[in-house]
Order: sequence, then structure tokens, then C-alpha cells
Amino acid sequence: MFQFKLVLLGDSSVGKSSIVHRFVKDSFDDFRESTIGAAFLSQTIKIRDTSSDSTEDTVIKFEIWDTAGQERYKSLAPMYYRNANAALVVYDITQQDSLSKAQNWVNELKNKVGDEDLIICLLGNKLDLCDSSDNGDKRAVMTDEAKVYAEEQDLLFYEVSAKTGQGVKDVFQSIGEKLYQIKKEEMLSKKGRQAASAKDSVNVKLQRPSTNDPTSCCY
Amino acid sequence: MDFLDEQYIENVPTPGAGNVVSSAGLKPPVARSGHSSGSAQLSRSSSFQWGLGNNVSSQPTTSVNMDQTICQISATPTSLTPVVTPSVTPAVTPDVVTSSPSIYRAVLLESRMNDAAENEAQANSRVLDKDDALMESMSQSIYSNVDSGRRIFPFVSVDIPTVFINKKPLTTEDLDLRCWDKNFFILTSAGKPIYSMHGKDEQIISFMGILHTVVNYFQLENSTDIRMIESGEQKFIFLDRSPIILVAYSTRGETSNELISQLDFLHSYLLSSLSQRQVSRIFDKRENFDLRNFLESTDFENLDEICSLISEKFYPDVLLGSLQCLTLNRSYRSQLHECMLQNLMRESDLPRGTLLYGLIVAPNSKLCSVLRPRGHTLHTTDLHLLFCLIFHQFQNLNENQELWVPICFPKFNSNGFLYCYIKFLSSPNYKISSKSRPVLVLISAQKDAFYQLKLLGDKLTSSITSNGLLDKIFQAQPVRIGDIQAPLVHHFLYKSKKHVQYVMPQLQFADRESDSVQAEEYEKKLMTYYQQIHNSVFSDGGIPFNKSIINFFNWESSLGPFEEPNNIGLIQGEKTQMLGLAWITPGFELYLISNNGVNDKRILLKSAKKIISWCRKNEGKIFVNEGATF
Ligand SMILES: Nc1nc2c(ncn2[C@@H]2O[C@H](COP(=O)(O)OP(=O)(O)OP(=O)(O)O)[C@@H](O)[C@H]2O)c(=O)[nH]1
Ligand SMILES: [Mg+2]
Repeated sequence: MFQFKLVLLGDSSVGKSSIVHRFVKDSFDDFRESTIGAAFLSQTIKIRDTSSDSTEDTVIKFEIWDTAGQERYKSLAPMYYRNANAALVVYDITQQDSLSKAQNWVNELKNKVGDEDLIICLLGNKLDLCDSSDNGDKRAVMTDEAKVYAEEQDLLFYEVSAKTGQGVKDVFQSIGEKLYQIKKEEMLSKKGRQAASAKDSVNVKLQRPSTNDPTSCCY
Repeated sequence: MDFLDEQYIENVPTPGAGNVVSSAGLKPPVARSGHSSGSAQLSRSSSFQWGLGNNVSSQPTTSVNMDQTICQISATPTSLTPVVTPSVTPAVTPDVVTSSPSIYRAVLLESRMNDAAENEAQANSRVLDKDDALMESMSQSIYSNVDSGRRIFPFVSVDIPTVFINKKPLTTEDLDLRCWDKNFFILTSAGKPIYSMHGKDEQIISFMGILHTVVNYFQLENSTDIRMIESGEQKFIFLDRSPIILVAYSTRGETSNELISQLDFLHSYLLSSLSQRQVSRIFDKRENFDLRNFLESTDFENLDEICSLISEKFYPDVLLGSLQCLTLNRSYRSQLHECMLQNLMRESDLPRGTLLYGLIVAPNSKLCSVLRPRGHTLHTTDLHLLFCLIFHQFQNLNENQELWVPICFPKFNSNGFLYCYIKFLSSPNYKISSKSRPVLVLISAQKDAFYQLKLLGDKLTSSITSNGLLDKIFQAQPVRIGDIQAPLVHHFLYKSKKHVQYVMPQLQFADRESDSVQAEEYEKKLMTYYQQIHNSVFSDGGIPFNKSIINFFNWESSLGPFEEPNNIGLIQGEKTQMLGLAWITPGFELYLISNNGVNDKRILLKSAKKIISWCRKNEGKIFVNEGATF
């Protein structure tokens, strides 16, 4: 089983806890308490490995840090994102300034954590409050605005609703797949290297010529 | 010795000292409506009659008598000399005892009393004997002083009548500040409002201006801090914790000391969230800072929660300065402590000092067990704050959710934060909501110790799950009044001073969530009864009138149903004949209230003795003693 660390960041009340709750429990609460400190949860998902012919699913486990958006806890954030494999930076589609807060988080992550180690996903929440056919549309951040920004910064981007559940599962699924992909490549190259070095050491120790046997590299 | 510090309060106001202002000196800015400010009439009001003061004059058909029997007892019953004297204690205004004052006084020899606070945890039998002897002598001397009482009323009812007016505004529109019989205000030393329990912003701002002026005036004129303004039954208490000033307003007759404890609790909450260091830093930079900009919505919710807890709910914790424990079989508790200790010792990867405290807390803020370094204690206020957070802020948790929360424990160290690993425990055998599940708390001073503590927490949880101790916690039953053979007692509070913990039987409404309005009224009423009993043996400054006291308190009203004018509150159409008892020794405090229709003090006293010996006998079950120390 693979295990990945995931952190949610974003302004207070954009819906981080609600998203996690939807993902973990598949439920929603209209009156959720603001998070104090941070909450740690875990949840597993299954991933179908399309590249291999095996029909068996791979199970991956997410360890999730749902952080507090309140300004006061900002200084604790590095503790949670330091070792993360993926960061979900959440904003509220109906609050313009929550996007700029999200952009600050993206900047902080890019400065403090190496790009290649961390998948960053920009997430617009409360999609249920936006219905262009309805004049009660509360949208304040246009999809294109966020999308263009995400492309510039090379981020994943989704709009979701924790309330209806729309898109939430997909976000975690695709992050899981992406992380799995990276992990697999990493292991392949490591194994390759290990196999190579193993051969070297055999050569050195046993003074035997290399066999060049392709089956010695088995994955 | 014991793991809990005695609650202490600084700035205890001393009545009669220069910093107390009487009504003659200063008119308080808020006058209660329908209340003539003349003090002649008000001198009749006592700790009891604040609720009925208005009523007695406007409703001559009701008569309410308060009968105080104060007996201060020596250890030797032979030295007892009853003296009838009208002036008893500052808490009792003589003219309150309207008819047949029955006040007894005994000569006091307290030096021989056994100071249980100094006893070791395992009181040996000799000590117990000594305690029993004291108890016996106290009660014997009371027996010779009290009437056995004629049974005036042919009824004894377990329904406790409402003899206090519940002053609650009927509408929430356009309310004057003085509609509330109790209010809390928090402002900065520069006069900027921070919080008020009731009232709208506009009202608060001008009112806080007045409070600020008053505070400043006294600092300038007398170069002392103002602590109390009293006018009739209205009282303002000030607590200056510069740069924060806290003010309590009440017409409910609490002692100054109780109000100060409440203000201290509110202040402690602010510190738990901000820490003294941060507060000082903010105000050093800008004296005029508006702290509301720095507080979060959760802070205001928590302040509301605490205010309602200490003024609307049954919450004797602050009054008694102690906390409640889960009633758990003695051997289970020690197994639990053993198990906590073993898990800690086995955790070789956990550097020494990473874990500061470990706690298991049962629902309703009942302490279950404690893991702590030898020689380190926890302060009750810090624990009260932690429990408030856990059971009000976090109750909506997922079962597989764990929290990592920085909290400043102001009595432990007001300048720094500790980090709490918090996990709601669940048992496969008990499917219940997180609200009624026990909680594991592991506390560290290191902010990155989460994974280490989680590992310890996981192991601890799995061992108490597999050995069945967790289920014992789930199964634990609260004490019920019927568990003790104590006739005519409706409810009691027993505090062991050595443990700084108290025990009480489950409230009548505790299980019935359906009728929350009724439950709320019951809780508030019960709290008021206890406050009055408590205040009859403690001075305004919070010092007991004597090291050992037995005191009866009588509530009596003889009238049938009537409705309060103005429709403010309703006095139930029931005759009231109730007795309260306060019994204080160096080792314990017992407060009890009788059923309605009881006036037999002898029986009540016997019941009190039963309760005391029951509590003594079951100490290991109802209190956490040393905890597990490492
Ligand atoms: N309509 C709607 N409301 C939502 C949605 N997600 C969250 N909310 C509401 O927004 C409020 C805040 O949600 P939370 O999940 O507590 O926000 P948070 O980001 O965790 O906030 P902090 O813990 O303070 O950082 C709650 O009242 C939710 O009910 C959504 O998708 N649609
Ligand atoms: Mg949250």
C-alpha cells in the first residue's frame, strides 16, 4: 500500500474541512465549526493501474492535514506542508479575496518547498452557489481567471462543491493517480539504479563478467 | 502531592477596604428598572431575596422567610455554649430573618481539627477515625441545637420549586442593557470594547466608555484600582488585568469572590487563545489597539459559551474551584493508570520530556485519568478551559479524526503555548456520537511532536481497547442520589479539598434532551440554591467564616400560585419549605439541598453524614488521586 501526505490550505471558511468531510465521510454539515489548530485524518482510495495488464486495484492511503484558515495559526502551516506530497489550496468561488489568499499560499509553497516534490492543486469551492442560469448567482471569481492563473503556475485546477459533493471525489482520485504515477516512476528508476549497482557490486566482489541478462531486471 | 493546584485568585477584594465603593459614594450607571434606588428598603434584600425583593413589596400576599442557623462547632462537644446573637456573619443581614430568628453560636476551638489537606493520599485508618470523630462531634452539637421540626406541610416533593425570579427579557428587540440581571464586559485599558455578553454594539460602546471613565477616575483620584461598586442588589465587580479590564454586573447576589473567579475564567480564556506574551506585545506597540481585530469568530463563540456556562447553566466548577471525575471502579482506574504508564515506558522512540501530560476525559468534562511527570501539577482553571474547548468546540468530530491544537494554559505558563494531541475514543461495542465519547489528550511543549504522540496515542488506544478498559469507561455510571441512603436529600455537592475535585449525583434532567427549556430552568435554579448556601458560609472575599462550619439554610414561602407583575417571571404555585445545608471542614465541603416540604434538620443532618461517609468510602471510585506519575 502506498501512503501519501496531503495538506489543505486556504482562508478561513472557504470550506477546507467540508471538502475533507465530504471525501472521508461523504456527508456535509451546514454548521461546521471553524478549525482550531489542525485536524489529521486518513482515507484510502483504490486506483486502477492502466499501464499494467493486472486487473487488481492498487490501494493508496491519504494522510490528510486539514489546517485552520484563521490568521493566528498561519505560522504553524510549514509544519504541515513541509513533508506533504500534495497541497490542496482552496478558495471560495463566491469570495474574490479568498483567491488572492490562495495565491499567497501558492507562492509560499513554491518558495519553501521544491516544485518537483509537491503537487499543488487549486480548488474553487462552493460551486453549488453558482448557477449562471439563475439570477441568484453568487459567483465572484470567474472560472477563466483562476484557470489561467493555474496554468501559468502549473497547478491542477478544479471547481467543486463540498455541499453537493460535485467534483470532490474526482479531485482526490486524480491527485492519487498522479502521485501513484510519480511514485511508480521513481521506484522504477530506483530499481533500475539498484539493479545496476547490484550488478556492479557483484562484478566487483565476485570478479565475474556481467551477464547482461535482461530478465535480471524484473518489474 | 496532589496533581491539581488549588485554584487561587489574585486581587481578592476585601470588603470594607478603601477600594470598595458603596452606593452612597457613586451612583452606578445602570439602574435596574422598576427598582427604587433607596437603600433603606433594599437592606432587606439578602442573598436570597434578590430574587424576590421587588416582589415582596408589590405582592404582599407572599411571605418568604429565610432562616439561618449558623453553628460553628468545636471538636469537643462539651465546650459548646449556645449563644443567641442577632449579628451572625456579614453574609446575613439581620433583618432578613423576619420571624423567629433561630441563630445559634458555639464556641470555637478549631486548632485541634484535622487538616485533611495535609494528609497523604492514602489516609490511614487512624486519620479516618480522627475525621470521623470531628464529624461526629460537629453533628452531635448541631443535634442539640436544632429543632427536629414539625412537619408543617403534608407533602414532600422531589420537584424543586422555583423561588427565584428568572429575569429574562421577553423580546430581544430594542433591549436596554439593564434588562439583563447579569452581564460581563471586557474592554482594553484604553477603553476599547472587546466583548460583552449581552447588548448591542451601540449600547456597549457608550457603556464601556462609562466603565472606562470610572476605572480611570479611581486610578487618578485614589491611585488604587477600583474593585467593586455596590448599590442595593446591584453589583459591579472590576478585574484589572491590564491591558485588559473585565467587569461583571449582577443583581443575583453572588459574592464578589465568585464574580471575580468568573472574570478570571474569562480572562484565562483570552490568554489561552492569545497568550500573555502576545497580548503584551500587541499593546506595547499600540496602546489603542482594537483587540477585536485580532480575535476570531471562534473566540467570540467560546466567550459566549463560557458566559452562558457560568451564568445560565449548572456549572459548580467555578464556584467550587474544582472539577468532576468519572465514577469508575477503583481497580479499573488503577489498571488504566498502569496501562498508560506502561505504554509510555515502552515507547522508546519518544524522547523524555516530549510528553508533558496525558489525560483521558469522559463526556460532561469528567476527568478519568491522568499521566503526569512526578512533581508537576495541573491547575483546575487550565483543565476547565481545555474541557470547554473539547466539549464545545470539537464535539462535531469524525471518529477517525485527530487534532493538534496549540493552547496556552495560563496558569501553567501564560507566555507560551502547549500543543495538544486530541482524539475522541471509540469502541466497536458502543456506537455513539462524538459528543458522548471519552477523549484522549496528550500534551507536549514541542510543536512538532504530533507524530510521536500519535504513535503513543495509537498504542495506548489499542491496549485499552483490547484489555476492555475502554469499555469500562463507556459503561461507567454516574452517581445517582438513590445510590446513597440519604433520605430527603434532593441533590448534593461534595468537594474533597485534598483532591480539588467534587462529586455530585446526576441531575434530574441529564438524560432528557427533549425538554431542554425545562432542563435549563432546572439547572439555573439548582445553581442559585447552591450559590446561596455557599454564600452563607463564605465571606464576600471568598474566605469561609470558619475552618469548620455547619450551616442550615431555609427557603420558605407559603403561597399558592400567582403571577409576577410585568410578566417577567413565574413563581410556581407550590408551597416552598426547603432546607439547604453547608458543611465545611478542613478536609471537605458539602452542600446539599433537601426535597421540597422538608424542615426536619435532624434527618437532613443524618443524611449529610451518610453522604460524607459514602464519599469517603468511595474516594478511589469518585476521585482521581495521584494519577500515573513518571
Ligand atoms: N453552500 C456551500 N457552503 C459550503 C460549502 N463548503 C463549505 N460550506 C460552508 O462554509 C462554511 C465554512 O466551511 P468550513 O469547511 O468550516 O471552512 P474551513 O475552510 O474549514 O474554515 P476554517 O476551519 O476556519 O479554516 C460552513 O458553514 C460550511 O457549511 C459548499 O460547497 N457550498
Ligand atoms: Mg476547517
